[in-house]
Amino acid sequence: MDRLRTRWIIFSGLAIVVIVSYLITIKFKTAPSPATLKAYKYLDTLPEKSVVIFSFDHEASSLPEIQPIALAMLRHAFKNDLKIVGLSLFAEGTAIGYDLLSKTAREYDRQYGSDYIFLGFKPQYISAILGMGESIKRVFPEDYLGNMTDTMPIMLGIDSYDNIEMVVSIADGDRTVQWVEYAGARYNQKVMAGLTAAMITSYDPYLSSEQLYAVVGGLRGAAEYENLLDKRGGGSRGMLAQSAAHLYILALVIVGNIIYFRNRRRRGGG
Amino acid sequence: MDIGILVAGILTLAVFSFLYKDNPVYKAAESWLIGLSVGYALVIFWQTTIIDLLLVPLFSEGRLILIIPFLLGLMMFSRFSKKTSWLSRIPIALMIGAGAGVAIPAMLYARTLKQMSASVMPIIENGSLNIEAPVVALGVISTLAYFYFSREHKGVMGSTARLGTYFLMIFFGATFGYTVMSRMSTFIGRVDFLLTDFLHLIK
Amino acid sequence: MRTKIPLVVCLAFGVIMFAQYFSNHTIARAVYNNILEWWQIIFAFTLFVGVAAFIKNNLKSISRGKKDTPYKIVSLIGLALMPLLAIIGGTRIGSPFLWSFENMLAPMQATVFSLLAFFVASASFRGFRARTVSATILLLTALIVLIGRIPLAEMISESLPKTTFWIQSYPSMAARRAILIGIGLGSMTTALRVILGIERTYLRGE
Repeated sequence: MDRLRTRWIIFSGLAIVVIVSYLITIKFKTAPSPATLKAYKYLDTLPEKSVVIFSFDHEASSLPEIQPIALAMLRHAFKNDLKIVGLSLFAEGTAIGYDLLSKTAREYDRQYGSDYIFLGFKPQYISAILGMGESIKRVFPEDYLGNMTDTMPIMLGIDSYDNIEMVVSIADGDRTVQWVEYAGARYNQKVMAGLTAAMITSYDPYLSSEQLYAVVGGLRGAAEYENLLDKRGGGSRGMLAQSAAHLYILALVIVGNIIYFRNRRRRGGG
Repeated sequence: MDIGILVAGILTLAVFSFLYKDNPVYKAAESWLIGLSVGYALVIFWQTTIIDLLLVPLFSEGRLILIIPFLLGLMMFSRFSKKTSWLSRIPIALMIGAGAGVAIPAMLYARTLKQMSASVMPIIENGSLNIEAPVVALGVISTLAYFYFSREHKGVMGSTARLGTYFLMIFFGATFGYTVMSRMSTFIGRVDFLLTDFLHLIK
Repeated sequence: MRTKIPLVVCLAFGVIMFAQYFSNHTIARAVYNNILEWWQIIFAFTLFVGVAAFIKNNLKSISRGKKDTPYKIVSLIGLALMPLLAIIGGTRIGSPFLWSFENMLAPMQATVFSLLAFFVASASFRGFRARTVSATILLLTALIVLIGRIPLAEMISESLPKTTFWIQSYPSMAARRAILIGIGLGSMTTALRVILGIERTYLRGE
């Protein structure tokens, strides 16, 4: 019973801390991490009309964390008049990617088919990634809306990674690894990522070896990117609640250890 | 209120009810989610693969060679009968074989060799000591020593492996920190939805 | 025959896909492209097999009238609903299919995942103890990262986020790199064993 009560106290504490801190509005200046800054600078300096692939390689479960990252990067790309080819290597990323791409394009008055396109989903990610190195139109003969890909204006002159400046993989798992290890290693395709925070440490070796160009990681990464872009979004809004939640966990760890050492000393003394 | 927001809000609260205890409302929401997820995947796979890559090229464009993967795909259904289930081994063997074939160069070059070469950094850089170089080299070697089980972890090997565990603990600690960050972000996202869209407490 | 044919198929496709890496010949590229396409098509069928098994098991459970029958029915209705909506209204923006995804599937899935925040909190209190040197290192690193990546850290001291990045970029990265190298070598060996027919576990479980 005691154990259950402790659990409820911990749960209620977390809910209260996050909800209350979310209701308070404080604007933080979030200094960008080197990896976020590198991603921002790259998209910022790409010449207009350069083609960038946005691959929505995630499930709906990570949407609250990953959407602010994707949104900030898409806004940046549309603002700089880059051409965007959207696709997904996760079935669930398909609807998310299409929806997000369409809504962001509307903000910047970009046209489907000429400024951006959503190719949809293909299963078996390794074969899809390798196939696009040979011919994107062969892997995606039709776009998500059923249009023949080769008739779309944006796809004229795009046939493989040779015509793609950068692949931005928005991922909550290891799909970006496949982009790096197959598109990157085999076809010399530059890859950068927007990742959930939980995946950041797994990608550090690729970042260090420069196989992965840059990473925008977690809600904090989204806040950093929004700050650079000077457009407030979900990342910036969540920073106070994020800080409060971290401090709450910190307090739980410290209290848990104090209780543990006190009990151990008592047992030792007894 | 938008009907979509209302539905999403109710379902969100139904899932959160699990925090109190496992209950029929949560179970119903969970079953609904499972059904929708499978149905969604079915539609996406059908539309983007079977129609786009198989049926249209085969029947409209006459690419007869696609009969082969079509038949191999159908063989997968042989698993439902004990007599014929061995047939499903053939398409599985094709996928496993192809996957293994492309994996060898990728694993060798992109994962092993690239990572090994990146571990060798100059100790002196622009005339000053690069302290990170020995840290990385020591970290990689000692962690590899920890996972090397062909020799007993005694003496120098034992000390190196122990050092490897400390590096591993640093990695697990950092990963734990970021995982906490990730889980909290997801919860904050749901709180944002409930407070902003569902309850209109924030504009 | 039941074992030999799959082994030969595996060997043939494994060798072809490995060898094509070193060739740019037109025929090699054509074969490579075709196999990549076949691979995707067959893979899609595996999902349909899974869906068929899901329906079969649920129907079996319903026919036996078990306690969880209502939940199984709910699942099957959900499964039928999505294809039905896609047939009726397509999958474009504004379609009932996308509406269901946005307002039912995505929020529920995100919420299920967000429950983990509470269990992480509970685990931090109960299980995160500085019992040994290793556990203390793990705990300290986690705490540094937890503090170092919040905006408040920058207000306290600039060295906090810098320390976090240093830990992440060097000692933590080195351990992860060693794991990656190990996985790389292991995967390569396993792939070779699979192609040569030494590793045959995929032939089981019919």
